[in-house]
Amino acid sequence: MMLPSLMLALNDAAAGHGSLADAVIPKAVAAPELRWAGWILLLPAISAVLCTLLAVLRTKSKLPALVTVLSLGTCFAMVLKLYLSRGPDAGPVVVHLWDWMNFSWGGGPWKSFQADISLYIDSLTMLWMLFVTGLGTLIAVYASEYMEGERGAGYCRFFFGVSIFLLAMSALVMADNLLLLYLGWEGVGLASYLLIGFYYQKPAAVAAGKKAFIMNRIGDLGLAIGIWLIWVNYGSIEFNTLFQAFGDAARGVGGWDRSLIPFCLMLGAFGKSAQLPLFTWLPDAMEGPTPVSALIHAATMVTAGVYLIARMQPLFTLHPDAMATVAWVGALTALLSATIGMAQYDIKRVFAYSTVSQLGYMFMGLGVGTAFGAAYHVFTHAFFKALLFLTAGAVMHGFAGQLDLRRLSGLRKVPGFAIVSWTMLVGCLWLSAFPYTAGFFSKDLILVQAMSQPRFQVLGWIGLITAAMTAYYTFRVWFRVCAGPVSYVPGEDAHAHDDHGDHGHDDHGHGAKAHDAHAGEFHPHAPRFAINGVLLLICLGAILAGIPGIQALRGQHNWVQEMVYHSSAVRASGVDHVTTPVAFGLDPHGVVSVFGISAAIGGILIALWLHLLDRRMADRIRTALLSNGLTRWLPTSMENKWYFDEIYHALFRLPMWITSHLLHFFDRHFIDGLLVNGIGRVPVMVGRLFQPLYNGALQGYATSMAGGLILVLAWVAWRWLGAGGVS
Amino acid sequence: MNPAILIIMALAGAVATGVGPSRWAKWTAFLSTMAIFAVSVVFAVQFPEWRTGKYWPSVDDGSAMKAFGINLQMGGDSVNMLLLLLTTFMMPLTIAGSFSAITERVREYYGWFMLLEASILLAFLSQNLITFYVGYEFTLVPMFFLISIWGGQERRTAAIKFFLFTFLGSIFTLAAGIYVASRAADATGAWDFSIAALTKFGSEQLSEREQFWVFLGLMAGFAVKTPTFPVHTWLPWAHDQAPTGGSVVLAAVLLKLGTYGVYRIALPMAPAGGVATATFFGVLGILAIVVTAMICWVQTDVKKLIAYSSVSHMGFVIMGLFAFNPIGMQGAVMYMVSHGLSTGALFLCIGMMYERFHTKDMEQMSGLARHMPVWGCFMVLFTLASLGLPGLNGFVGEFLCLMGTFVAEHDQPAGYPGVMGPWFAVVAAVGLILGAMYLLIMIGKVVWGPLKVPGASADPHEHAHGDQGHGALSRDLNFREVAILLPIAAACLVTGLYPRMMLDVTEPSVREALISYPERVNQFNAEHGKVNSSAKAKVAAITTTSTEAAR
Repeated sequence: MMLPSLMLALNDAAAGHGSLADAVIPKAVAAPELRWAGWILLLPAISAVLCTLLAVLRTKSKLPALVTVLSLGTCFAMVLKLYLSRGPDAGPVVVHLWDWMNFSWGGGPWKSFQADISLYIDSLTMLWMLFVTGLGTLIAVYASEYMEGERGAGYCRFFFGVSIFLLAMSALVMADNLLLLYLGWEGVGLASYLLIGFYYQKPAAVAAGKKAFIMNRIGDLGLAIGIWLIWVNYGSIEFNTLFQAFGDAARGVGGWDRSLIPFCLMLGAFGKSAQLPLFTWLPDAMEGPTPVSALIHAATMVTAGVYLIARMQPLFTLHPDAMATVAWVGALTALLSATIGMAQYDIKRVFAYSTVSQLGYMFMGLGVGTAFGAAYHVFTHAFFKALLFLTAGAVMHGFAGQLDLRRLSGLRKVPGFAIVSWTMLVGCLWLSAFPYTAGFFSKDLILVQAMSQPRFQVLGWIGLITAAMTAYYTFRVWFRVCAGPVSYVPGEDAHAHDDHGDHGHDDHGHGAKAHDAHAGEFHPHAPRFAINGVLLLICLGAILAGIPGIQALRGQHNWVQEMVYHSSAVRASGVDHVTTPVAFGLDPHGVVSVFGISAAIGGILIALWLHLLDRRMADRIRTALLSNGLTRWLPTSMENKWYFDEIYHALFRLPMWITSHLLHFFDRHFIDGLLVNGIGRVPVMVGRLFQPLYNGALQGYATSMAGGLILVLAWVAWRWLGAGGVS
Repeated sequence: MNPAILIIMALAGAVATGVGPSRWAKWTAFLSTMAIFAVSVVFAVQFPEWRTGKYWPSVDDGSAMKAFGINLQMGGDSVNMLLLLLTTFMMPLTIAGSFSAITERVREYYGWFMLLEASILLAFLSQNLITFYVGYEFTLVPMFFLISIWGGQERRTAAIKFFLFTFLGSIFTLAAGIYVASRAADATGAWDFSIAALTKFGSEQLSEREQFWVFLGLMAGFAVKTPTFPVHTWLPWAHDQAPTGGSVVLAAVLLKLGTYGVYRIALPMAPAGGVATATFFGVLGILAIVVTAMICWVQTDVKKLIAYSSVSHMGFVIMGLFAFNPIGMQGAVMYMVSHGLSTGALFLCIGMMYERFHTKDMEQMSGLARHMPVWGCFMVLFTLASLGLPGLNGFVGEFLCLMGTFVAEHDQPAGYPGVMGPWFAVVAAVGLILGAMYLLIMIGKVVWGPLKVPGASADPHEHAHGDQGHGALSRDLNFREVAILLPIAAACLVTGLYPRMMLDVTEPSVREALISYPERVNQFNAEHGKVNSSAKAKVAAITTTSTEAAR
């Protein structure tokens, strides 16, 4: 048997090594005939406006969903048309839509600031746009059913948010300059804020939205500084000009600050893509409705960081350690969040940590020099992770918000949940990189690339360990929830969907109590056509996403690779492959194959044992660990995400809060109280000297003012006369 | 057409409001401000110098009334026009926003408002230091009465503090201006207070030492008005205690008098002073941004929070102005206008809330989005504009101010060296995070969360204000209130998405204001051991020419 990873890696190396490392990014040509592509930005904007209007008209229908689905579907069709009309290997084009922040004081680099609303379309853009608009449409269809309990203002608000998100995400991916990218970057942050806080009566949801926005702002600060540094060094922030500057050694001002650029951009990417140290917002973001978690916090928005680094690949060569840093951060995040994911009980949280972990793989892929592997993993992950979240959403929808994997079991035998269970199995297999699935191919590419460079071999091993953990926690969910005997406890919003859609969230406590009394009467709310249909379609997409992997396996060119190599992501850092044995007499490819496959299967088997065959064993292990003083820290800190939130609170938030109070005190009592009022008292004293009878504050002030004014006027008059005398 | 007609209209409006019957007062005031707005739009359409940076009507045509060097001719360049439009646009909205809030001494209230508009217009349209000063100073009188008659519990303290603080500062401004004029009179033999003439004389003839002191004198008034960090303490008081209309005008327009003064008078008149003190004012700007943002964080009163946020935001303007390059300065001008829109609108929103609940304490309310969803939408929108979300107005100015600061190095290829540089910008940019923090916390407390209506009974669906004498107000915003906020929201969006409209017209004016700076800055930096090696500039020049050749 030909080891699958061998051919993959050879193929990647042949295409990515040597010739491509020095490849020049072709100059973009202006394409005014593609101005219709501007509708890809305009349609979601129009749909957002229409959703607002529908909210004003107090519609109770599903019209907002229809409007959004139609506009997003049209966007997808247009992206497809654009793609088909260009082919996978066309050069970049720039489509100018309208002027935005654009002014000049001379012309040319450094004498102007140009950031227009215009599009830079190359194959990397197309790759991202295809799955963003495609999945966006499907998830909007899914949400039309999922959110129907909120019909009315909430429904409009939800689809307004989704439209704004697609608008911002398209702007981010299609931007031709860093500032428009920044607009999209903050715009997706806004959509994420609004949608995480969708159930705004829940304090936890409000707090989660706020946290997401602020954590992202920290990253955005890095991005902003990066933009300024780029302008200072290259005199422009347009991609086309920047990439051309790299073909020409004379271009660009070599300052000390130049090598900081990649690190600033990195901070932005890590914030948006929830990597160390800014990852803590993503798990909390699960407070949002599940379609949002699937679309924004799994499939699309969080890959924006990967996109940024892939897009700005040329700039990451400015510092020799930049890419290595990306790789290390990615690998450590992957490992750390996998450990947390193993100990969570909330299905969505498990998937959230797995998202953080898989994003870590993508960054590792970028860092070790396979932009193809990273982009391919983004692509496959978008499908299988969206699928997993949507199945979790269907479970939540059906069982009144129940997401605790200890309280759900045997769902595949519950009537109406067969499609959910089996598509979830597909998602789980793909996520755990089961051999010959799409997830396997993409993860394999990354690990082989890491393994075949001596300095990144450690990362390869970290990736393999993480792969085993991933398989374990993924199937922990599936074996618990979908397999085993049928048993379930409904969640807290037991009849939120039935009778009071308008204020369902007021009655949480009440609903739960009412339900416990009649637990036997609960009937799971089976998903209907929209949810099941979307699940099947995305499942199909996940299966088809494996095709490029199979093509690569056969040594054929595949379109994902073509798309990545015909974009600015082509300039991966130099790669020195080794073929010497890494361990156990196996070369890197062999190691990844053997250990990767055994990690996946081993993880699944352990999950099978602990969570299906002998479920009590898992609890016994946990109890045993907890009862031993030496090992107690392990499960507790894993369940509490290694106390990152608490540490950040103690290190940053608390000191700042105390400082703020001190500053407020200082401002009120020192600056205003002592200095200002003190100075204010001087005139009163002077006033007392002159007018002992009137010691009211106003009179005192007035006297001094009048006195001052008279002095000034007298001086003016004197000068005036003096000047007159001179002339 | 002489723009002085706007001021005359405002004065006429003041008289009509004061003389007419009480029940007509608000409509008289509203219609006069609307008429002024209409005329100013006509004026703006006719304005021929949008893209030239020149003044119109020309300042020194000599035909106007002129006595003792005081020229009464009104006019301005594109920046004046923008600020004029901002004023005339916000005024009718502010007055309409006071309709239901002001029930006592109505005639006086609207009369003072019209006088306030007249004096603001006088300040923005004067091309003469004395008339500018008269307008600038006279704004204090209407504001003083607006605060001390219709204000909150501690209105007297607030009004007195406001009056004295700004008055004390501007005495120095007047003195410095008169000093320049007297030196000019010494040199030329005739008194001339025209700003253009004084700018020319000040920047060219005064010694560095004189410029330094003149600059500090001018800044004493403008810094208080702006307000800059240590002299800002009057602002939270004034905002907190002023009636809604007063707060809106204060935030939207009156603060801009300070920054306008810096932009139009202080910086061009005494460039050497500006350069010498740029680091100092840069640090003050940073302190304003960071320290007041942190103070905002611990406020419990919504109105005070927004007031402090004004100080923080004006810090960005100061940074942009002292960057001495087109990026920063255009950012500063943009930010003046957009801060006027978004902060003014936030005060209007808070006023509408206050009219319903009679409290501004964030601890007493929560989740109002459910009680008044339309209000909640506007509140969120203007908060986002205020925290600088790209696509809305605040971002353009904020980003450009910081970027201008960032590139204001001594060795900088843009042809505009500066004295601040990256570290100033990086520290100030922390304000972006802090701004998001306090504003989202405010929104999270007031708009989102479980519903808690101040002073309401346990049933949230009952009207909270049934027997408090404001039964006329609906639960959510009524048509009038929506009609007030909608134009501002539209303006926020348009400025955010098509800022080029403004950037294009301010560019020549900014270049004019910066005309003597590059040379002064280089000289100053050289004296302080930071030689402009021109290394970067040379590379820039080479590549610029090479790319131009390539084209």
